[in-house]
Amino acid sequence: MLCERCKKNEAVVYYSENVNGNKKAFALCEKCAAEAEKNGEINKPDFGKSLFGDSVNNLNSLFGSLFGIPQYQKRELGERKKCSLCGSAFDDIVNEGKPGCPECYHTFGDELSRTISKIHGAATHTGNAPERFRAGRERQRKIEKVEAELKAAVAAEEYERAAELRDCLKMLREEKSGD
Amino acid sequence: MLWYEMSGKDSDVVVSSRIRLARNLTDYPFPGKLDEASAKEIIEKIKEAFEDNSDYTFTDFASVDNIHRLSEAEKHKISPEFASNKTPCALIESDKKQIYIMVLEEDHLRIQSIMSGFSLDEAYGVACEADDLIDSKLKVAYDEKLGYLTHCPTNLGTGMRASVMMFLPALTYARGIRSLQNQLGKIGLTIRGMSGEGSSADGCLYQISNQVTLGTSEKEIIAKLTEICDKIIEQERTLRETLKKDPDGRFTDRIMRSYGTILYATIMDTAEMMKLYADVRLGSVLGIIQGVSPQAIDAMLIHGMPATLMCNVGSDIGAHERDRVRPEAMRRMLGGVGTKSKK
Repeated sequence: MLCERCKKNEAVVYYSENVNGNKKAFALCEKCAAEAEKNGEINKPDFGKSLFGDSVNNLNSLFGSLFGIPQYQKRELGERKKCSLCGSAFDDIVNEGKPGCPECYHTFGDELSRTISKIHGAATHTGNAPERFRAGRERQRKIEKVEAELKAAVAAEEYERAAELRDCLKMLREEKSGD
Repeated sequence: MLWYEMSGKDSDVVVSSRIRLARNLTDYPFPGKLDEASAKEIIEKIKEAFEDNSDYTFTDFASVDNIHRLSEAEKHKISPEFASNKTPCALIESDKKQIYIMVLEEDHLRIQSIMSGFSLDEAYGVACEADDLIDSKLKVAYDEKLGYLTHCPTNLGTGMRASVMMFLPALTYARGIRSLQNQLGKIGLTIRGMSGEGSSADGCLYQISNQVTLGTSEKEIIAKLTEICDKIIEQERTLRETLKKDPDGRFTDRIMRSYGTILYATIMDTAEMMKLYADVRLGSVLGIIQGVSPQAIDAMLIHGMPATLMCNVGSDIGAHERDRVRPEAMRRMLGGVGTKSKK
């Protein structure tokens, strides 16, 4: 992405802030960022030094405005990972605050996971699923149930029961790998 | 029939219940990143999925004019964002089932079911029917860990937003909304005023909905929202009883004056209508105003809204002209009932 000011150099600094509802967001090149900082347009936070030079993996800036604190991030130039379906780079997701397509969630799974658990406070889905996933989910639930029973049986020294459960578990797992 | 033409459970406090499911197709970018050809392809695919089912009708929304779009939003059939969408989009609806499916809103599909009164379970049942139909014909984007994949990460997981529109005049007058807001925030729910935060000029209508969609199931979300709304209903009713005691008669006077204004005014703007709506609806449910149902008053409010008014009276009228035709349009919804005070 090009610098929003000079439209010539590659943007390397991403900044967003939300002060009492007044939102500001820039993507600037090194030179324009230095100028903006001098003019007081960018309030580089004290912890900026440790963030400075951090890679795009630093997630603080994603949905920065959501958390109402100024965000400052600098990215090193280099090879950029892109989504195979929509072509989005992680910077695009940061800038727009939203992924470009369902595939982005897989391509940038690691980068997005912290933000997702920050939003929802939990990171694993427990609700409904499309038909094509239901059988697998049901089996997974059974596996977890049998595993718990097996643990309890071992603890209670009911070895015959434990052996039965182990066979059952083996069967369920084989079914799964046979998908 | 539309939701506001039917009577519903706990309608003295709950105006409507709504379930919205966000769904996307695999293999396509989200609507914001779609080119026109792919957008049309998606619309066509979704249209085909519903074709065999005669309950649903399909409308190419690009051909619907702005006023009619806004009117659909005023009736809460679609979102205001969808009404102002400039790119290709479509609406699949069934008034009979009270379900409205927005195609290419923020997500490829937004299944929305809205019902009169407090009926989240029923609304969820209807939304699931449409969801299953889509699932049987199209490949919906889903991840075992993240659930339904949505454009905005705030909708991941169930993709479900359950909301209850509540009429809370007594809590508003008692200045209880702010504290309710704080309490709800702590348990993953949110409350927002229909227009402007917490002001009594907004008809005392508030939407309470779940904020968290991942890590909790649809049934858990609905159970939690139902439990909390039950408590709010109870609080609102208790406060109303206090208001109804009305030792100096001023409360009844205010309600009857508002009703009188609706019955005899010849000019009215939207803000005044909202304020009078709250008084008259409260008067109706407390039995101070008799012979007018809360549903009729909800219908009065919707038919007095700018775009719906323009659809019914004439699409080329300006704000002043609207104010002049509004009182008559509102009275039509009340069915020309008389004014009989209980006291």
